[in-house]
Amino acid sequence: MACAPNRVRLLCMLSLTFGFFIVEVVVSRITSSLAMLSDSFHMLSDVIALVVALVAVRFAEQTQSTNKNTFGWIRAEVMGALVNAVFLTALCFTIILEAIERFTEPHEIEKPEVVIGVGALGLLVNLLGLCLFHGHAGGGGHGHSHGGHGHSHGGAKKHKNGKVRRSETLEDSRSAGEETNNLVANHNNSPNGVNPERKAVDMCHSDSLDLQINGSTPYDELENGHDAASQLNMRGVFLHVLGDALGSVIVVINAIIFVFVWKPCEPGTVCENPCSGQHCADHALNVSSPLTNGTLNKAGPCWVLYLDPTLCIIMVCILLYTTYPLLKESALILLQTVPKQIDMHQLNARLRDLEGVLAVHELHIWQLAGSRIIATAHIKCHDPTSYMDVAKRIKDFFHDEGIHATTIQPEFVTVNSESRASLCELSCRTQCAPKLCCGAVDTAKPLEGSLESKKSCESKTPTLPSASVTSLEIISESVEETSTPESVVIITREVESSL
Amino acid sequence: MLPLSIKDDEYKPAKFNLVVKLSGWFRSILADKTSRNLFFFLCLNLSFAFVELLYGIWSNSLGLISDSFHMFFDCTALLAGLAASVISRWRSNDSFSYGYVRAEVLAGFVNGLFLIFTAFFIFSEGVERALEPPDVHHDRLLPVSIAGLLVNLVGIFVFQHGGHGHSHGGDDHGHSHSLFNGSAAHGHSHGGHGHSHGGHGHSHESKHGHDHGHSHGEHGHSHDDQHCHDDHMHTPGKGSSKQILQGVFLHIVADTLGSVGVIISAILMQKYDLMIADPICSMLIALLIGVSVVPLLRESIGILMQRTPPSLDHALPECYQRVQQLQGVYNLQEPHFWTLCTDVYIGTLKLLVAPDADSRWILSQTHNIFTQVGVRQLYVQIEVAAM
Repeated sequence: MACAPNRVRLLCMLSLTFGFFIVEVVVSRITSSLAMLSDSFHMLSDVIALVVALVAVRFAEQTQSTNKNTFGWIRAEVMGALVNAVFLTALCFTIILEAIERFTEPHEIEKPEVVIGVGALGLLVNLLGLCLFHGHAGGGGHGHSHGGHGHSHGGAKKHKNGKVRRSETLEDSRSAGEETNNLVANHNNSPNGVNPERKAVDMCHSDSLDLQINGSTPYDELENGHDAASQLNMRGVFLHVLGDALGSVIVVINAIIFVFVWKPCEPGTVCENPCSGQHCADHALNVSSPLTNGTLNKAGPCWVLYLDPTLCIIMVCILLYTTYPLLKESALILLQTVPKQIDMHQLNARLRDLEGVLAVHELHIWQLAGSRIIATAHIKCHDPTSYMDVAKRIKDFFHDEGIHATTIQPEFVTVNSESRASLCELSCRTQCAPKLCCGAVDTAKPLEGSLESKKSCESKTPTLPSASVTSLEIISESVEETSTPESVVIITREVESSL
Repeated sequence: MLPLSIKDDEYKPAKFNLVVKLSGWFRSILADKTSRNLFFFLCLNLSFAFVELLYGIWSNSLGLISDSFHMFFDCTALLAGLAASVISRWRSNDSFSYGYVRAEVLAGFVNGLFLIFTAFFIFSEGVERALEPPDVHHDRLLPVSIAGLLVNLVGIFVFQHGGHGHSHGGDDHGHSHSLFNGSAAHGHSHGGHGHSHGGHGHSHESKHGHDHGHSHGEHGHSHDDQHCHDDHMHTPGKGSSKQILQGVFLHIVADTLGSVGVIISAILMQKYDLMIADPICSMLIALLIGVSVVPLLRESIGILMQRTPPSLDHALPECYQRVQQLQGVYNLQEPHFWTLCTDVYIGTLKLLVAPDADSRWILSQTHNIFTQVGVRQLYVQIEVAAM
């Protein structure tokens, strides 16, 4: 199963990191170095990130629906990615704070040799982690390096940003597709060859651009429904490990430069430390300096002390730059946006062009996780007898788009119809709710049309008398209201397109 | 299309006019009560942080400077909440078919995460200080933390009050538990290493709408239960900001506790010379923060994971029964119910019906049944069983 290697990797990395954390704590106690202690807490946050990812992976394996979570737990991956991204951001903020503190009060490094040793060890652990997770999050499972492993100064990392991200996942999915083809416990995915053909058939009303957009991406992402979701999670882990690797690199570089360039004050001699802002030392020095004559030792070049915070700030910039796409992507999924590869306008138009479909209301498409896309809509058709054929056509249409979990509610046009209007009226009568925010206020403003039928929370539904529902009332209002939306919709669409 | 007037501005793409955008945002912020409160409190916090920063620079106290940075960090939580409350009012469009209303849940969640991170950070600093007690400078600490406490009390008052904006006929369910965890104003004495952070420990934000008059001191419980909304006689309105407000509120409370903790530890240190008081206070406060955030996190995670709304947990099976008893319905399959944002539930289900059944009647009845429990957006797919 595709997830088991993930779990194994995560556990591996987790145990390594935790072990290293213990080592750092012990060393910091022995050498009583505060810097090492704070670094060990950074390691701890890394451990937490790995734990979060592990938990997410464990949960997301349960793709079956449960009683409370009818969609299964697959969203846990996206949540894990978001949590990791947010933690990384918060970590960056604290690092900035510490760096600023260091700018105002530079510290010398005590026992730089120990620091070099521990830093190198940490770097090793992190590089190992990068190798472990790189395959998953970087570029495709088969070794083309997208992010580079340990060129930690992030030059290579710059490639790994949002713009290239989609093509990365595509390549990932194609290469990993073979592995996971059998493993996607999803609805039936038609084999690769069939989809483009069917798309061509249904493409009569769309232009070729559409074919490219919809033709290539959905069926690729189809293949690794589960994999794409876990990609997000692994990316979060990867970024976290990368941040840590950068940190270790900075520590090692700083310590090395410190060892070779810095001339410390010998404890026995009189020496001047021009770099630290310690008033007492300076004061004592000024008092005593007239006494001693030329043999004044100065502590090493001051810029060395400012190297650490500077490097930290650079590292933070790099981290933020690479974390932002992950943050954005997982946040957008959680905000229930329409997936990037789906164009609502076109979809709506093509849906309406299907035979037997009179109107489309309340079309909602959102992404559960990875490539699992869910759509719901109200379709107005002529009568119940022809409905099943129309339904089949609609389902096929959605399948071709890559959307397999659809719920289509039929509405019938004839006299006793259940149009959206009547539904809304029903709900309005019991409690007129601005709670119908996010959508169900179509009948209030039919002008908005089926495309923008979502209203903000402030719009009110029409205040209908809360009398008991009689079918005649429904009929009259619904017939009137349903006849208008379509014509108005047409008008508005024309206006839009010409502009 | 031929231009109808001489002004071609209409036909040019809108220029990115920063001023226009900003003023648009301002207007939308000031329009709604919640975001107005947030905005003013944010300004208050920011100004306090600036004052602290300037004072710290002038008196060359590193502690005060770092404390002011921490306050800025907290302001980001407020900013997130403010952004969410503005964003969630935007209209829906092609990319966001449901609109942006989920932003508030996300903001509450992110606030909760930040709070956990802060608690972790405070805890680690407490541990560090316990192992290596640094110099403690008390003198400047006390006035600063008292000032911070005052600022936070203002915040508590504002958001507490704002929270209980409406009454539900005496119901238990007040939407007012501002999920907006008030960024615990770290009015804390971060300044000068001797202080402990104000953890906010109690989730007294009364998650369950108590009536207006309660003082937050008493409600120590954290309900994870969701029965916050009474679907039947509701006058919603505040519901949509619930998550945001609770987040902000918890944050403010955390900071208040922080200030209180600092004051206490400062007093302890001055009077009884108990150096260990500071780190212990820090750790306690961090624990309290962590504990208080858990309900908020649970709720937002539930919503984001598309979980069945907890308040409908008992009502739904009954509804399923009723639907299946309708004439012509064979079976009810694949029900999915989830929360879009506070009090907005969306559901989909599939019904297998007999070929000769009256689909329209079934549809309207089903909608009725579910509307009574509060699900107003329902998609019912009818599948006619083959004979």
